[in-house]
Amino acid sequence: MFRRILLVSALLCALGMLTFAPLQADDGHSHTLSVAWPYQVPPTGHFNTFASGGIALGQYMDLHEPPLAVLMWATGQYQGMVAEEFGWDDDGNYVIKVVDGYSWSDGSPISADDVMATFNIFRLRGDAVWANMTGIEKVDDHTVKFHMSAPSSLAERIILTTNLRPASVFGDIADRAAMMSPDDDGWNGLLQELTEFRPESPVSGGPYTILPDTITEASLMLELNPGGFAGDIQNYDMVQMWNGETEVVTPLVANAELHYITHGIPPTTEEDFANRGIDIVRSGMNNGPGLYVNHDVYPLNLVEVRQAIAHAVDRVQNGFVSLGESGVAVEYMTGMSDGLSEAWLSDDTLDMLNTYDYNPDGAAALLESVGFSRNDDGHWVDDNGDTLSFELTFPQEYADWSAAAENATAQLNDFGFDITARGVQFQQHPQDIYSSNFEMAIRNWGLGDPIPGRSYLQAYNRYNGQGEAAGEGGGAGMNFDNNISFSGGDINVFDVSNASSQGTDSMAQAELVTHLAVSYNELLPAIPLWERYTNNALNRNFINVPDSSDSVYANFGGGADNWMTTLILTGVTAPADM
Amino acid sequence: MASSQMLEWLVSLPLDLLRGLVGFLRRLSANKPGFVGFLGLVAYFIVTFIMPNYVEFDNEPKLDQITGPIGSRIQLAVHRDNPHLDSWEALAGKTVGVVRQTGGPSFIEPYQDQFTVETYRWTSRRQGPGIPAALTDLANKEIDALLIFSKTVNQVIVNQEDEELQALFQDNIIISNPSLGPPHLLGTDTQGRDIASHMVHGGQILILTALIGGVIATLIALFFGSLSALAGGFIDKFFTALANLFLAIPQFILLVVLAGMIRFDSTLYLGVIIGLLIWPALLRAIRAQVLSLRERDFVEAARSLGLSVNHIIFREILPNMSSYVLINLIFSITIAMYFQIGLVVLGLAPISDYTWGVMIYFGRSRGTLYNQDGATMALAPVLAIALFQVCLVLFARAIEEIFDPRLRSAG
Amino acid sequence: MLQDQSHIDSTSQPMETSAAGLVDRLTTSLPKIYRSYTVRVFLQAIITIWAVMSLTFVLVRLMPGNPVDVLIEQILTAEGISYQEAYDRVAASFNIDKDATELDQYFQWMGDLLRLDLGTSITSPGTKVIDEIARFLPWTVFAVGTGLLISFVLGIIAGMPMAYYRGSKLDHILSFFSSFSTGVPNYIWGLLIIIVPGIAWRWFDIGALRGTYDVGLTPGLNAAFILSALEHAALPVFTYVIAILGTWMLSMKSSTTGVLNEDYVNVAEARGLKERTVIRSYVGRNAALPLFTQLTISIGFVLSSGVVVEEIFVYWGIGHLLFQSITVRDYTSLQGVVLLLTAAIVFSNLFADLTYGLLDPRVRVSGEK
Repeated sequence: MFRRILLVSALLCALGMLTFAPLQADDGHSHTLSVAWPYQVPPTGHFNTFASGGIALGQYMDLHEPPLAVLMWATGQYQGMVAEEFGWDDDGNYVIKVVDGYSWSDGSPISADDVMATFNIFRLRGDAVWANMTGIEKVDDHTVKFHMSAPSSLAERIILTTNLRPASVFGDIADRAAMMSPDDDGWNGLLQELTEFRPESPVSGGPYTILPDTITEASLMLELNPGGFAGDIQNYDMVQMWNGETEVVTPLVANAELHYITHGIPPTTEEDFANRGIDIVRSGMNNGPGLYVNHDVYPLNLVEVRQAIAHAVDRVQNGFVSLGESGVAVEYMTGMSDGLSEAWLSDDTLDMLNTYDYNPDGAAALLESVGFSRNDDGHWVDDNGDTLSFELTFPQEYADWSAAAENATAQLNDFGFDITARGVQFQQHPQDIYSSNFEMAIRNWGLGDPIPGRSYLQAYNRYNGQGEAAGEGGGAGMNFDNNISFSGGDINVFDVSNASSQGTDSMAQAELVTHLAVSYNELLPAIPLWERYTNNALNRNFINVPDSSDSVYANFGGGADNWMTTLILTGVTAPADM
Repeated sequence: MASSQMLEWLVSLPLDLLRGLVGFLRRLSANKPGFVGFLGLVAYFIVTFIMPNYVEFDNEPKLDQITGPIGSRIQLAVHRDNPHLDSWEALAGKTVGVVRQTGGPSFIEPYQDQFTVETYRWTSRRQGPGIPAALTDLANKEIDALLIFSKTVNQVIVNQEDEELQALFQDNIIISNPSLGPPHLLGTDTQGRDIASHMVHGGQILILTALIGGVIATLIALFFGSLSALAGGFIDKFFTALANLFLAIPQFILLVVLAGMIRFDSTLYLGVIIGLLIWPALLRAIRAQVLSLRERDFVEAARSLGLSVNHIIFREILPNMSSYVLINLIFSITIAMYFQIGLVVLGLAPISDYTWGVMIYFGRSRGTLYNQDGATMALAPVLAIALFQVCLVLFARAIEEIFDPRLRSAG
Repeated sequence: MLQDQSHIDSTSQPMETSAAGLVDRLTTSLPKIYRSYTVRVFLQAIITIWAVMSLTFVLVRLMPGNPVDVLIEQILTAEGISYQEAYDRVAASFNIDKDATELDQYFQWMGDLLRLDLGTSITSPGTKVIDEIARFLPWTVFAVGTGLLISFVLGIIAGMPMAYYRGSKLDHILSFFSSFSTGVPNYIWGLLIIIVPGIAWRWFDIGALRGTYDVGLTPGLNAAFILSALEHAALPVFTYVIAILGTWMLSMKSSTTGVLNEDYVNVAEARGLKERTVIRSYVGRNAALPLFTQLTISIGFVLSSGVVVEEIFVYWGIGHLLFQSITVRDYTSLQGVVLLLTAAIVFSNLFADLTYGLLDPRVRVSGEK
């Protein structure tokens, strides 16, 4: 028996050695762009991009299902992609004209039918775009008119950032949806049919097509689709899409097997990348973590206390320990990003804003002004004699937010608060906020959206009274009263933020935005800590894109209008050796 | 059991224990690896239970020392014309620059009245010069020396985008004394804090919790396991069924649910909950051992001689099982240690107790393993736990040889 | 994160269930069938599985967060749209029957289970849970099973000399290795294997070794596929081996030490039998015996022991499906996976109980008294 065991184990060892046999080498002639996005493999992952669980490659979906247009953030103008002409007509309806001469990978031409199919399915799903839309009309083979109840810059943005889907695949369901109204009997059945619909193969209208046979949990390949939109101006034959979250893609980037990632990477990893000569590209994302307080918890409802917290936390330090140079302290404290503040507020308004510089003495003075004092241990005691003890929760899994929470806690405790930081599973944390089950919490402020009023949706809507929508029985969130009075008068901030994204008159919008910014700056319903910048790792030894001074980098990676996909769709991105 | 026997046992117990202890220590010193393990455990005790009283927990973020390499320390930068400024004494009466929020201010404190301190605010590159401003002042001799972290100096001097500044620094500044200030034995973490001080403070709670958890699990298993095996019948059926059920329940999901409902801040509670979660496998093992021992010759012999149940358990079965129980106790303790990391992930254990488990969790999630200089944040606690297990195993081996009658006779 | 505890369970006895009372009542009506020991323990195993699954059904719904919320958060993070837009989109793309109470869902699920139907995934509506399991299960069985087998064999081989040459240098080195390697969790081993030989020494292309086999090969009994599968499994298997080998070594050592002191070994030696015969026929066989039971029981825990390792090496198996289902709160997929894990644990325990008596005649199965 002993000998037999030896024999078997020797055999197994030999097999183990075999597995380290030389790996296949690339042929080196074709050009492959190597990027990454997490996805699910079949059977969980599928090709119905309208249903959840689909193989949706984030911003790279633009290569497969091209967008109608892309916003150039530096100029604020949309650049047409599949839509070559677009704009409001005299009746207040939106008209787009689809570019001619391109086709889907199954051979059908890209036309107005695809736009009709896409938006009819949006209607079936109940997407927000239909909130202001009364109908959609095919004018000719390449022109579509959206009938709007009221023109708004928000509706324009939603329409233009839509990824086009093929009518040849979804047309049948879309046509049936167009014939029905939501009250009809078959409506829910059709919706279910949509979610369970599984196209056999992916159909691409963009420059690259997913090759279904290459999908593994490691990576998938996209092949050049010469007839698709922008397929004629590409510099690559293939795109390799690596699968995985940050920890999984990091070794590939370090080993130069993967050349560009949009994953948020921890500063320590960033330093390692920099030492390997990998470029880090940073663009402002117009959002980031902030310190939210429950306004039902005394004394956090006192504006002086919130202002004192803002003064007592060094946001520069907090941002740097959390996300390195991509954690940029918020300066204007308007509830919008500094970039949006500068774009929408007048210089006089900007000068008037309180920038809440790091100033513990000023913070102390604020607390003393409402009758608080320090006890013998140096802890602050409120006017009722209670110490300022709070629990600060944060989503444990988010590396940068947990660092921000840890650091803010340390700083506030240094100042004389008594804060206990506690990590909560990321699935539970927002639920705690919606249901007002928190004292202090780290959640996000701002929004990666060029329409400034939408930045306030987090503080005034999502984390304030949104519990009902979240299925938590109508929790009031942070319990902030949206009817406020500030130096500019009495307003309802939620209504004003909604109103500011309506219409197309930017002067009128700017006035409302100024009200929002100034009142936020005075009242600080939640305290923004820092703005998250991207820290995309870009290996310029393999990828040739414009240098970091180019205005295209104002388009941050992560959502719509990503600079990398824009550069691919415009045929700029190229292999470094070309 | 008869009361006289009970009394007899109670009287003889302390004497037996004392005799055992003396013999144990004598035998231990004769067993080399066991003695090494024993010394290791003593060292762990000193580091984690006594040293925290003397080493301060470093909780001050130092922005320019983030993920400092092992042995990193504060450095003194001076102008090329003043190479003699290389010690605290030489700096007397001079102006010394420090950058706030870096390692400088705390090191400089004891000497503060000997020289003038010029403080610079640390700022990120995007928001304007912080360290570059300090270096410029040094290059222009507006200050005599600058206390600064070496890695930052290198980064600023070498990677300076402004070529004029870079030339100014390289021509005028030298890093003078490489050994000023206490070194960071294990480097610094993602906030520039000293990892060695965290190691000293992070062991106590983790070890205590693990001991509590391991001991509770072992006690439960030992008590109910032997009870099951010896009593048989319904009691046996009940406890084995319970253990089997517990084994099959998906613990991770149970913990996720628990995390949403309760929060544990006390070491004792944490230990108890861990103990309550890891006992079932141990119970099965111990029950089987007792069952098997029950059938052995010497137990049968003791029975046929009419010796009491008491005698059989404490004199025949337990001594023969002690090594087995011990090794399983050790495994339980290590399991309990890593269990705590799972609890940290779920938010069941607070991060304010900055234990080795919290260090491993944050070290991994903040990517330090991918950075040579920062990897100690996660690897130091892993190494500490692994070596702790080594010490326990070596020590347990010695105990095994001392207590196991068969090994003793084999000598 | 949570450690596999199977190694502290070395021997075992027949299983019973808390529903033993119910079973007892059944005995009056079904005395003949029940009298069969095997049928009885099998029935009890089924009841245990049912009890665990019912508990699981409740537990997964008690987990904070639900599939809708989790997907909303994901979309919000990835795309930077407003909460309302994300909510509208997600609410429509799931088709959960909102009117069905949880009790209805339970009976529906139990009914489907009787027809061996695990239902469809919630987060990928229309995808059958059984298809998901079929996609992921074989790879876990292959990789973790291989790792378990190799470490078991190596552990037995290395454990015996440790006991034979107790106190020697060899014993010290192996003891240190085994106790140290088990003291480091398998995901840290996994990361180190990627970072040191992978990134620092460039021994292999990390990406090329990901996945379960190379693209373009047809699964089946052809050399190219088998080689490719082995190649892709190498790193995870190596990780499993290094993380559990020490446990087997230590167990084998202590088991052998025990056997060496048994009378029959001394007798065999006194009879002048060849040392090799004594090692093989007496010591080795008897020392490995309890470990076989331990191995059988570990098989039950095999499926769930590699969750993080499967993520690190992107070698997706049932551990990934478990992790993914928990992350996105996909109740139905999660229930399917847990059912599989529970059945594996319960039946491997049962198997261990049934075979232990056969392997070691000294232990009488208590149920047969």
